[in-house]
Amino acid sequence: MTLEDVKRTDSGPALMLANEAVVRGALEAGVKVVAFYPGSPTSEILDRFGEVLEHFGDFKMQISANEKVALETVAGASMAGQRSFTSMKSVGMNVASDSMFSIGYTGLNAGCVCLIADDPYAHSSQSEQDGRYFGEAAYVPMIEPATAQEALDMTKWAFEVSEKHKTLVIMRTTTRVNHQRGMVNLGTLNRTPFKRNKWADVKGQYFTVGSVARALKAKLLKKNEAIKRDFEKTHFNKVVPGGGNVGILTAGVCFLHVMEAMQNLDIALPVFKLGTLFPLPEKKLADFIRSLSTLIVVEELSPYLETRIAALAQRVNPKLNIVGKRSGFFSEMLEYNVPIVEKVLAEVVDKKISIDYDAVLKKAQKLKEILPERPPIFCPGCPHRGTLWAFRQALQQLRIRDKIVFNNDIGCYSMAFLPPNEFSDSMLAMGASLGISAGMEMSLEDKVIAMVGDSTLYHAALPGIVNLIHHNSNVTLFVLDNSVTAMTGQQFNPNSPFDAGGTPARKINMEKLFEGLGADKIVIIDPYETRDCIGPIKDAIESDGFSVIISRRECALYGDREKKKRGEKIIPGENVKETCRVIYACVKEFYCPAIVIDESDAKMVIQQDLCDGCLECREVCPVDAPRHMEVKK
Amino acid sequence: MSKRGKTFNIMFAGVGGQGLMLLSAILGKAAVDSGLKAMTGEQHGLSQRQGSIYVHFRIGEPISPLIPYGKADMMIAMEASEALRYVEYLKEGGVVIMSSRIMPSVTETKSVALDKEKKTKYLTVDDIATKLKQVTDKIVLLDSLELAIKAGNARTENSVLIGATVACEDFPIPAEEVRKAVLALVPPKTIDANSRAFDLGRDAGSACLG
Repeated sequence: MTLEDVKRTDSGPALMLANEAVVRGALEAGVKVVAFYPGSPTSEILDRFGEVLEHFGDFKMQISANEKVALETVAGASMAGQRSFTSMKSVGMNVASDSMFSIGYTGLNAGCVCLIADDPYAHSSQSEQDGRYFGEAAYVPMIEPATAQEALDMTKWAFEVSEKHKTLVIMRTTTRVNHQRGMVNLGTLNRTPFKRNKWADVKGQYFTVGSVARALKAKLLKKNEAIKRDFEKTHFNKVVPGGGNVGILTAGVCFLHVMEAMQNLDIALPVFKLGTLFPLPEKKLADFIRSLSTLIVVEELSPYLETRIAALAQRVNPKLNIVGKRSGFFSEMLEYNVPIVEKVLAEVVDKKISIDYDAVLKKAQKLKEILPERPPIFCPGCPHRGTLWAFRQALQQLRIRDKIVFNNDIGCYSMAFLPPNEFSDSMLAMGASLGISAGMEMSLEDKVIAMVGDSTLYHAALPGIVNLIHHNSNVTLFVLDNSVTAMTGQQFNPNSPFDAGGTPARKINMEKLFEGLGADKIVIIDPYETRDCIGPIKDAIESDGFSVIISRRECALYGDREKKKRGEKIIPGENVKETCRVIYACVKEFYCPAIVIDESDAKMVIQQDLCDGCLECREVCPVDAPRHMEVKK
Repeated sequence: MSKRGKTFNIMFAGVGGQGLMLLSAILGKAAVDSGLKAMTGEQHGLSQRQGSIYVHFRIGEPISPLIPYGKADMMIAMEASEALRYVEYLKEGGVVIMSSRIMPSVTETKSVALDKEKKTKYLTVDDIATKLKQVTDKIVLLDSLELAIKAGNARTENSVLIGATVACEDFPIPAEEVRKAVLALVPPKTIDANSRAFDLGRDAGSACLG
């Protein structure tokens, strides 16, 4: 198994997820301090480090409150002479970037690497943000791997670049690299015991403002020139030789789509596979494009490479025909695959595509017409299902459904946007619901309601809450306290008595926090006692000032694992058909995937292997038809 | 195998919580232990149960992590409707190994429940098989739960499905390597049941494809 491959000390082949190869690469490079806030598609990096923390016992790890804290933590460790690593999703860098820009100026000491993972197609993100601009904007070198092997090799190389040039190095990936499993040749692992340094032995100056900043900027520009010279020479910027005067420029997973598409078309065009996004190896690129008549640029999202290569071509080959997004061949939308690339290559070199992909898709579309959608929903046993049901009931009973605005936030509960709840007036970014609420509260006649999870609360919601209370705002905040950062895989957060790898940590006392801040009303509800939640929710919404509804029940997936550890069994529910009066409250308003209809009598049936036994459906049922199965002793 | 005789593509499909990642890990181990190269494009991320999930699994000389449309030599579906959801990846005449289990989505349940005339019915395995037959006639439909119970443990459905893969004559991994990988990665207490489940799946697969 791959966890064993992360741990083994010898070199050799292994089948590994690229995220795991990154962990292995960092360990091989002698990483000593790691810190993360989880985020798809990078969460497995945090998880694997946590799983091997105790085994190695020679590096320090924290699950940070947010990505900015995580980046600052590893930067601090680097200043203190320890090799350090963090990773974050695309939008995580938005949070971290305030410090990242300054770190660019001050530079660092020991090797320090930050992975950022973009998510073309927005599989699990709020946007298709293109993070490639961060490197150039902050004068921080940025590299990009294509395979699991490169993920390992480039992680190790990034530590060397970082330490040589005393700079942060950003490794940019995309979802299809992070979640790609492939063959990896491991290097040997020579770990050394963790040792604290003395500041006097490692110290440097990491301070930037005014005249210091101006001096640092001048140095930074020189540093960038030196890095560029190294990047001109690295084998991670390589040309795959081919014939003819049509060439391809690509990077990351698109390189793999290109190579497979060329195999399908039985062609071999010269390909520049770029490994360094900033600084670009301009001399090497100039040599590549000088003799070409056409350059096909294959990159997902923005025309980052296309714009830069077009500028370069103005100098070295003004007649170069560039096939990319601006010429309409490729889209700035979504992610690419072999068919997308193959079609463009076939058109440019006038070859027939290997199969008629459009016909395949069209036929599939027709065959799938009978297929019902499977929309994302809350898991069986999810406490959010109960909270949102009670919230809706409260609004109905108060007759204010059309007199409120509901600002949602980032977490599993973002799905309140989807049926059966279908409400959420805004949902932007971690903790944004509070600031948005401040503006709306000043501007609207309506009652303003916001919602955050426990992890989002500590990640970025606190300043927004302080702001609302300070300004005597009339806002109700739901805090969905499910013990963990559920959506990314149930990692611990400041609301947990544990840190990475299950090491003890201090749980922040949420009620005292809100008391201390001066919240006007704090109510605590249990979403499994779903009906009983309605009253307190109504009270909180109707009260003046800043009211907080803490809905407390652990994430079902996390809770199930904990139950299993304790040897407890899940007792599933059953619908008592004699009691059931086919009101379908459980179906219409609740959307639990364990619930189906028996076509013979049209009554509800609970699929026992899916049921979590929460009995929230009994709470929703006007006649209490569902109950726990009898347990055979 | 594809025309070049180099890469064998398998599309795994199922529903979150069914153990698709374990299934993919088992075949990955079997491929590597047989000296074959493997590559996957996996869907992780939002950890909700009961969502539609897939793994692109490629053995041989794959380059991209994603199988191109129409080029999957095999589809392994742990839930029948999910086989149809990813049918654009299946090649004409490819092998489909699918469980007869259907987990209706909540929206489908709602439309069945709320139809006063009770004419709206759940999608059936036959409906799905009829559609798939327009792409291939090599469909191995397994009552994986029944076979798993027959093997002595209802939770060995995945071993039933994976057993059926080796009945496919083009399948590049030797049957014994697949079995070894299954037994190495399942909980130790369930090895006997999983071994029987594997055999039942293989026999059922041979009966369909032979």
